[in-house]
Amino acid sequence: MNPTVDGASEGAFGPEQQQYEPWLFQTMLDELSVSELGIGFIYSVLDLLVKRYALSDAVVVLSHESFGPQMFRAGGQAISAEFAASIGTAPGVYCEPDVVPNVERDAVRTACQLAISLHLARFSAAHDPLTNIANRRTFDSALQASCVRSSRYGWAFTLVLADLNGFKAINDSLGHAIGDDLLRQFGLAMRRSVRSGDVAARIGGDEFAVILSNADGHDSSGFTDRLRSHLGSARELVGFTIGTASSPRDSTDPAELFRIADARLYERKGASHR
Amino acid sequence: MMSPTEEDFELELRSLSGVLNVEIRHRENGDVDSVTLVTLGQDPSAIRVMATQIVNLYYAEASVIVEDATKALTPREVQVVRVALVRAEFNPTTGNCDVELSFNGRVGLGRAGSGQLFGGAEATLAALRDLGYNLPFYLLTVISVATVRGWPVIVTLRPFSDGADMFGIAQADNDVTSATMATLDALNRFLSKDSVE
Repeated sequence: MNPTVDGASEGAFGPEQQQYEPWLFQTMLDELSVSELGIGFIYSVLDLLVKRYALSDAVVVLSHESFGPQMFRAGGQAISAEFAASIGTAPGVYCEPDVVPNVERDAVRTACQLAISLHLARFSAAHDPLTNIANRRTFDSALQASCVRSSRYGWAFTLVLADLNGFKAINDSLGHAIGDDLLRQFGLAMRRSVRSGDVAARIGGDEFAVILSNADGHDSSGFTDRLRSHLGSARELVGFTIGTASSPRDSTDPAELFRIADARLYERKGASHR
Repeated sequence: MMSPTEEDFELELRSLSGVLNVEIRHRENGDVDSVTLVTLGQDPSAIRVMATQIVNLYYAEASVIVEDATKALTPREVQVVRVALVRAEFNPTTGNCDVELSFNGRVGLGRAGSGQLFGGAEATLAALRDLGYNLPFYLLTVISVATVRGWPVIVTLRPFSDGADMFGIAQADNDVTSATMATLDALNRFLSKDSVE
């Protein structure tokens, strides 16, 4: 299997480019018609490359500032450690047999690079980078949509706001690395505690929010119990206070619902300090 | 076709520092059975812990296997992760050479306007600096020599301090690519020597 990288320039800028067929862009269009460009597209392209040139194997190696080197093999097959080591981490397309023109390999690599960059950009736009749960923007849209459904069809849901107790003091005394780790653990515990269909988000520094679908106010106790148990050892370091508001019972307006949950949270927090 | 959830699942695993490849195996009923990660240059046990946390969030039943590609490389191979040429172009309108190099997943860009031979070599050195190399040598000569098999290019790099000159030779379809590859040849020899020492 010969890497394309060492000879990538040999035909990539010559007349060979004129002979390039637009199958790759057709694949992109097909993929875009049913979903968005992402990791699935990379596997689709590799599978098509294998079919088009009757290859027994194809691997694309990509580089990304956030990811570092990444390998994808046709069919989503495993790459053994020895195989990965033999390919190396330089970006390129590796084919067996080595019959794919350089221009086509360059095009495949570029398209795959675009796909993974778009996937990461899409994921990053919707998620909090520290905890990988939804960010404020995603949460606001989800809350808006839940309120519309609640107002229109009467579907009940509960908004839970959670605030870490004394987080600033932990950050100041133990350092930001410990603080970040704590936030990560809390985010992970939240992800493990929600059911499918619920939305967990980090909406501020140490402020989290959850939309519990099909849940009335008192149902949030199940969630908070799960959250406590999933926090594990982090519970010794930090506690949390929650405030809840239910829709449609309390309100079907997102801002009002948020205000009510926030007021209840601070009421509880004040009570615990008294 | 992968589901968006499975795509995000794989993206999260690939976001873990040091993960090179992810294989997701399914059971006959379509459930995820196991996830195999190939890693490079990071502590595999730390990756396993983080990967298990992610896998548990999506598919609680799935097992996690971590293979370390670093072990498969000999010590010398680990050190000599080669700088690879991605692109070398000469623009006849502007007279600029543009070189794109890749090293360990990062890309460096260099541009120089001294013709195809010197420009190719200078742009390569600029791309290496862009990759973060602090080069302890400078470009001494770039010559194209006639042989029975064509016109290979020889690049000579001279250390700022004492030491022997470094030579690289390469022959490609055009001068700019030859000059770039010859410069990399000299650099790779330098790196090999450095890693052996």
